[in-house]
Order: sequence, then C-alpha cells, then structure tokens
Amino acid sequence: MSLATTAATQTKFVFGTRDEPGRAVWLLLGPCLLYLIVFSIYPLFHSLRLSLTDLTAATGTGNFVGLANYRALLVDPLFWNAAMNSAIMVFFSVSIQVVLGVALAMFFNLQLKGGWIVRGILLLPMLMTPIIVGVMWRALLNPDWGLVNWAIKQIGLTPPDWLGSVGMSMVTVILVDCWQWTPFVFIIVFARLQALSQDVFEAAQVDGAGPFVTFRRITLPMLTPAIVFAAVFRAVDAFRSFDLIYGLSYGGPARSTTTLSFFSFQNGFQFQNYGYAAAVAYMMLLILAVGTTVMLRYVQIRPGNSR
Amino acid sequence: MKIRPGRVIAYLFLIVLGIFGAAPFLYLAVLSTKKRIEILAQVPPTLNLNWTQIVKNYNEVLFSQGMLAFTLNSIIVVGIATAAAILIGTPAAYAFSRLRFKHSEQLASTILSMRFMPPIAVAIPLFLMVKTAGLQDSYPGLVLPYIAFSLPLVVWIMIGFFDEIPSEIDEAAMIDGCTRVGVLWHVMLPIVRPGLVTAALFGALFIWNEFLVALYVIDSRAFQTISLGAATLVSAQRPIDWNIAATVGVVTVIPILLFSLFVQRYIVRGLTAGAVK
Repeated sequence: MSLATTAATQTKFVFGTRDEPGRAVWLLLGPCLLYLIVFSIYPLFHSLRLSLTDLTAATGTGNFVGLANYRALLVDPLFWNAAMNSAIMVFFSVSIQVVLGVALAMFFNLQLKGGWIVRGILLLPMLMTPIIVGVMWRALLNPDWGLVNWAIKQIGLTPPDWLGSVGMSMVTVILVDCWQWTPFVFIIVFARLQALSQDVFEAAQVDGAGPFVTFRRITLPMLTPAIVFAAVFRAVDAFRSFDLIYGLSYGGPARSTTTLSFFSFQNGFQFQNYGYAAAVAYMMLLILAVGTTVMLRYVQIRPGNSR
Repeated sequence: MKIRPGRVIAYLFLIVLGIFGAAPFLYLAVLSTKKRIEILAQVPPTLNLNWTQIVKNYNEVLFSQGMLAFTLNSIIVVGIATAAAILIGTPAAYAFSRLRFKHSEQLASTILSMRFMPPIAVAIPLFLMVKTAGLQDSYPGLVLPYIAFSLPLVVWIMIGFFDEIPSEIDEAAMIDGCTRVGVLWHVMLPIVRPGLVTAALFGALFIWNEFLVALYVIDSRAFQTISLGAATLVSAQRPIDWNIAATVGVVTVIPILLFSLFVQRYIVRGLTAGAVK
C-alpha cells in the first residue's frame, strides 16, 4: 500500500490545462497500478523473501537463511542440468521456428487461392492448451500404435524412441514446441511482409536481381524488425514454458527435459521446498531481466515511440 | 491461362501443408470414436463410425468426468477476469496514451514487462495469498490472479489503439466541456471498440490455457478449469485410456476452433500489438 501512495505523491503532472486536474490521471491510472502492485509486484517481493528462507509446507513460516538457497543452487548439479536444458530448448526452438516461420511467410506470400484455409489450420496449434498438445503428441508418437511411428515404418525406417530415451526426449520436446509455435513467428513475419511496399521489389526485378538475391538483399533486411520481435517473444515464452513439458514428458526420462521452470515447479509443488523453488524462480527472473534488456536494445516494444 | 509448373508445385505443397496441419487433429478425432482396445489393435485407425461407442466416449468425458463443467468454469473465470482487466486496463492505457506525467514512460514499460513474467515466480506467493484470504477452491481464487496476468496485455494492446486516434478529437470534446473521464467514456469508447474486442480476445486467450496457478489454487474437482481438468483426467489413470484422452483432446479443441473463427480478423493485430511498426 505504501508503495502506491508514494507513487501517487511523486507523480507530478506536466500536462496542466485549466480543466485538467491531476486527479484525472490518478483516477484513470490508479486502479490498474494498485491492482498490479497487490497482485504482481507484491507476489514478486514475497517470492524474493521466500527465496531467503527455508520454508517448506510442513514448517509453516520458515527461517531466514540469507543466501543459503542461492549458494546451494550454484553447486547443485540438478540446477545446472535444468539451466542447460532451458538454454538448449530456447536456442534450438527459437532458431528452428524463425527459419520455418520466415519460410512459411514467404510461401504464403505467393497468394495462392485457398491459402487462407491452410493458414487457419496452421494457426490452430498456438491457440491450444499446452497440456493437450502434450497428450496429443504422446498419442501420435506412441511407440506401439502411434501414427507417426507407423508412417516412419511404412517408408522403411526405424522410428526413434521419441520420449523414452535420454538422447531423444529433448529433441522431441523442441519439435513439438516448434509445431505449436512456428505459426506465431509465421503470422508476425507474414503480416510485415504483406505491409511492405511493392515498389522495391519491382525495382529489383527491373535491375535484374534474381529471387535469391532479392530475398537476401531486400526482403530479409526489411523483415528483420518483425523477425527480431517474434524471436524475442518466442525466446521469453520458451524460457518460461512449463505446461508443455508437464503434459509431454514430465521432465523425464532421467531429468533430460527438466527445464528451469519445471525444476522450480518440482521443488515447490512436489517436494514443497518453497524457499529453494523461489530461489530457482528468481534466478530465472535474473536471466530474463538480463536477457530481455540486452535484446530490447535492438528492438522497440512500446508502441508510439517506434522509429 | 497458361499453367506454370512452379505454380503447380506450390499448390501441391499447399495441399500437403494443409494435410499435415490437419492430420494431428483428425487423428485425435478418429481416436475419440474408438474402443480402448481398438486403438491398440488398429494401426493406423480406420474410420468406421460406431455411434454407440462415440456417444459412450463423449458422455463419459463431458458428463461423468466433468469436462463440460470444467469448460463452464473456464468460461466463468476467464470471462470475469477479462471483463475486469478491460475495465481497469482501458483507462490506464488511455492515460498512458494521452496524458503526460512524470515517469510515464518507465511506468508503462514496467507494466508491459510484466507480460514476460514467468508464472512460476509468482505462483507460490499468489497461492499463499489466496489461501490466507480463504479463497482456495473458489472462482475469486482464480479470477483475482488472472486479472493481474491479462492486465499488462490489455494495457499494451489498448495503448496501441488509443495512439492511433488523433488527440484533436479529445481536445475538441474537452473544449465542449467534457472532462477527461467523460472524453474516455462518451467519445473514445465507441471509436475504440475494435480495440476492446482485440484486447478482450487476447487477454482471454492469455489466461484460458493457464495451468500452474490453477494447479496450486484448486483442489476440488468442482472448480477445475479446462487445462487443469484435462491434465488430471489424462494423468490420473494409469495406463491412460487413450480413447478417453483423445476425447478430452477433441473437447478442448472445439472451443479453440470456435474462438479461432472469431479471432482470424484480429489475430495479427493482437499478436503484433506493441510490435515495431
């Protein structure tokens, strides 16, 4: 609460026409700020406090232990395993999705008749509940009767043990994530592509540039802002994603798909080790803060002040 | 019209893309018509519709296992939370778009950055808050955190829409004696209606699939939402009854399918809100 009142008193109103009381700003903005302070900022601080305690569900309040959780975490091989898995997942998911998304956007830019129907189908996955995406792919990839394995055997190959082997499970998680989220990159890049002026392309054609050169030298540079935007969003969402792994592999086998989100969840929900779980979550926030700050140097997200 | 081979290949590729895109959903739909044993025996499954079995599967999922009730819970929770987020977020977006005050930029970026917050970082405190307030296993127990989740997105989308309306309109109305709040209510809201629809759709979508907080807050089956209900349905049984799991899948995809028909017009705008223009 005190935070809210200080924010109110500190807010000085430069916009001061005669019938423009500062009260109006506070009236319009106040409820939103107050709500976020109570239900977002406070929980974040509470999490920070939790991360400095040894609270478990059994003990009730927990004792202040300083940075003990963070020290424990830095030497916990399971934490580093999860961090590594998160890094692998984010890097490969985003890279594959950007390449496929741009390719799809270029393809749909051919303006084929009936293209909008296929586009509608392709957009469905990203609206789906990730838990159900997980279940759906567990059916498709079932080693005994799944459709995918049947198809692979039909063309005479041996299907891999998608979710059952340590070496393959992360690959499978990344592939399913790509199935669900490539449409996101596609639709954003496609929207940008549609908005580009045709003059440049006509000029390039007049100058005799082939399709490959046109793509490399003209299309790609003009699409870069949209691609970066989509990649940043995807990177953050892949980093914090949790439900897909819950539904698809439950972090296994042998923790090979346990990402930081899932690791924190296991410590909090399963082992009720709230302090440690909060410390892991705070490491994630730290990584996110650093990561997005670096990335946002290259991309403007606020509407209105874009270049 | 002459037929160009490149064009033909492109259309073939489009058809293949459509088939591959639709196949997982059709597969799920076919599995949902089967007996449990048939799924293991028929590879690939054949399409011979047995209506008694279909009715049995869907009856089991919708009524016996409660997916219909879970869907209603989701609609209630998401509906109320989205309406509240619009109600709180729209005036804030208007203030950010029109009024100049100290730290407005930083304040806006702070709110917008909350869209990136990992739910795992706030799930436990939110759960403890809800528990302290005695709101476990209730609609408010989910609605209150969900408003906070969709609020940043609503503000973000609405700022974009307000920014597009020339501020001369506000000024004209204010010269005519309207107050700021009056301008928003009487002048802006009718103009910005497409924005409200976009913000509501994407605010709703953002929390429709929420799982983690629901997992903490809801214990009783009576208040489970779609994602939580589906998760407990498909993980509770061991081994999974795949015909039932597939039926659960179809039942959850149907609202999404209906939703996507409405959302097509708005999807680009909703997703790229705040994107570089």
